[in-house]
Amino acid sequence: MDEDNKVTKKQVIETEVPLGTVHSAAIEPYRVRLFVEDEIVKDAEITVGVNHRGVERIMEGLPVEKANSLTEKICGICSNSHIWNSVLVAEKALGIEVPERALYIRIIMEELERLHSHMLYLAHGSEVLGHETFAMRIFYIRETVMELLRMIGGNRVQYGVPIIGGIRPRAELDLMRIQKIKDGMDFVEEKITEFAERFVSDPMVMSRITGVGILKKEDAIRLSATGPTLRATGVDIDLRRDMPEYESFEFNVITQDDGDVKANILVRVLEIPESIKIIRQAIDHLPEGKITNRSWDMEDSPVTNNYIEVPRGKLYHSYSLDDGRVRNVIIRTPSITNIGAMEYACIGYHITDAQLAIVQCDPCFTCTDRAIKIIQI
Amino acid sequence: MSIADSLIAFIAVIGTLILAFFVSAWLPGIERRFQARIQQRIGPPISTPGIMAPLKFFFKEVINPNSPMPGLYNVLPIIGLIITISLLMITMPQLYVLAAFTSVIALVGLLKVEEIIYMFMGSLSQSVLSLKMPFPDIVKGAKHPGVRRSFVEELSSMRAFRLIAFGSFPIYIAIFVTVAIAKSIYISDIVSYQQIHGPILFSLAGILGAIVFFIGFMILLNEYPFAILKTKADVIEGPLLEYAAKYRAYVYISRGFLIFVLASIFSTLFLGIPPNILSWTILINIAVTLVFTMIMATVSTFSPIFTFKQFYPLVAGVSMIGILAIIASFL
Repeated sequence: MDEDNKVTKKQVIETEVPLGTVHSAAIEPYRVRLFVEDEIVKDAEITVGVNHRGVERIMEGLPVEKANSLTEKICGICSNSHIWNSVLVAEKALGIEVPERALYIRIIMEELERLHSHMLYLAHGSEVLGHETFAMRIFYIRETVMELLRMIGGNRVQYGVPIIGGIRPRAELDLMRIQKIKDGMDFVEEKITEFAERFVSDPMVMSRITGVGILKKEDAIRLSATGPTLRATGVDIDLRRDMPEYESFEFNVITQDDGDVKANILVRVLEIPESIKIIRQAIDHLPEGKITNRSWDMEDSPVTNNYIEVPRGKLYHSYSLDDGRVRNVIIRTPSITNIGAMEYACIGYHITDAQLAIVQCDPCFTCTDRAIKIIQI
Repeated sequence: MSIADSLIAFIAVIGTLILAFFVSAWLPGIERRFQARIQQRIGPPISTPGIMAPLKFFFKEVINPNSPMPGLYNVLPIIGLIITISLLMITMPQLYVLAAFTSVIALVGLLKVEEIIYMFMGSLSQSVLSLKMPFPDIVKGAKHPGVRRSFVEELSSMRAFRLIAFGSFPIYIAIFVTVAIAKSIYISDIVSYQQIHGPILFSLAGILGAIVFFIGFMILLNEYPFAILKTKADVIEGPLLEYAAKYRAYVYISRGFLIFVLASIFSTLFLGIPPNILSWTILINIAVTLVFTMIMATVSTFSPIFTFKQFYPLVAGVSMIGILAIIASFL
């Protein structure tokens, strides 16, 4: 054992407590084997693969537009992120210019999705903590964001807003919609501030989340953690800062130093006002003009890839184009790179805190079930 | 005691028990409804958790539990219910003639058995949730192959054991406060003392004792934040995981009844009002039960689940308050 009570050498473990694949604290099917001694977790193993759907395989050979819309089905929480990144790959490969108005609306959608994803995280975390009331309150606030997403995209999940060269005509923002988004952001900002104040001033909640599931900066880097999980350890990395789409927007990258559950929650709570700030900037400076560029030609292209920062971290999409059809698809979601951090974070803590330590990394195992590489079909 | 008196006493005991069952059937519904309103949602119909759900379970097919001794496992909730009924009976004034059986010692003993039952339940249950998956766990180069598997119920059984060791301190200390004040272990003497000197609750020791009793009440009921036997994050339903059909109904009925019984014990020991259907004071028993249910619902709604890290200091702190109450009772 080292000074952090983590297992550093292989040792004999007395008991194993398997949890999952169906478990009340897990909103998705995954399996965790906790190796415990006197209810303290000494080692952990997370297994995914229960929900594998082979989306990449289905995408192979499909026309690029269809393949793009299929990526949206990968995740119910960050569906916009997947289709956006997939569309970006095609636009990058074909050199398509996207109208500025469409870029701004895409940003609004992405940030609204980040809001609802972070709030879902807070609600799920509260449920795992056993604090249903906080979960209910946060779901109540999240409802506003879900309705805004429905207003723009027509659905509460899988909105299908980005298309190659712009956005769907249905997602155009008129004055009424812009006003509704403004009102919604005011409401969310006010309520989330109240929630955050209540949350951090609750001594019982703080005693459950402080100093639990600690992930140090160097461990987080070694284990390839990404997104808010990495930022909660003090690493100042947010891909949005480097994405050309976000060049015109001002926002702060939120980091915390402790790397525990509290730090993870705080990073996401504090990212919510930053997302609201970006949405307000996008609305205030929304350019006039068309929303779709239809003057492009399909060409063959070698494998092209693209990274974007989604609510859980870095999302990677790559594929090549052959006669208008996609080939060699690879998709990597942020949760797969966070699995090492999840396993490590629950070691050394009470078994009741293990799920909390896993949940602090905001896992999305259903989208993670795709770690396959198709070399050539 | 004449035959007529015995008959009246018998009718009173049976009547009180029936009333207790009737009231307790509504308590889980009231608790859930109260929690729901705090959480700004509608919640279940008030009769569902305590009446309709058990009724439904009585008509379901009995599924044999995954247990090394399924018969014993299934009979444990019935034993628990009998113990809970006995707990109520020993506080009834008609049975004070049984002397030692209606003492605080008997009360504590029965409460201990009630706690031990959870330990047995946990160790006799082996649900499918903790089964091994040979392919990913052993074949595919898994970590630590061949490690002894522990069922989640076994985990909650160990927790029940710890609760027996220290978790129930508060309620026993609170009960002992009344003994220290009345200077008798007999419930009849404690009630008589309060009829002369007024309720123990209205003294410093009584107030401190009542606070400690309430914490003990919540621990015994495994209610949030003390629900370590039934933590959703790991052991889920814990010892009760494998109960199905009518046996689950017994579990539900027992819990509702235990709320009423513990509140009645409080009324008896701290207010001097034992449950007796022949007296209007039974209304006070019912009122205390409702107040306890609502306070419990409020506390649990605003609390996360504790782990032992929070549990140990809290129990130690509350027990210290209980000891202060005992010291205050001698002053």
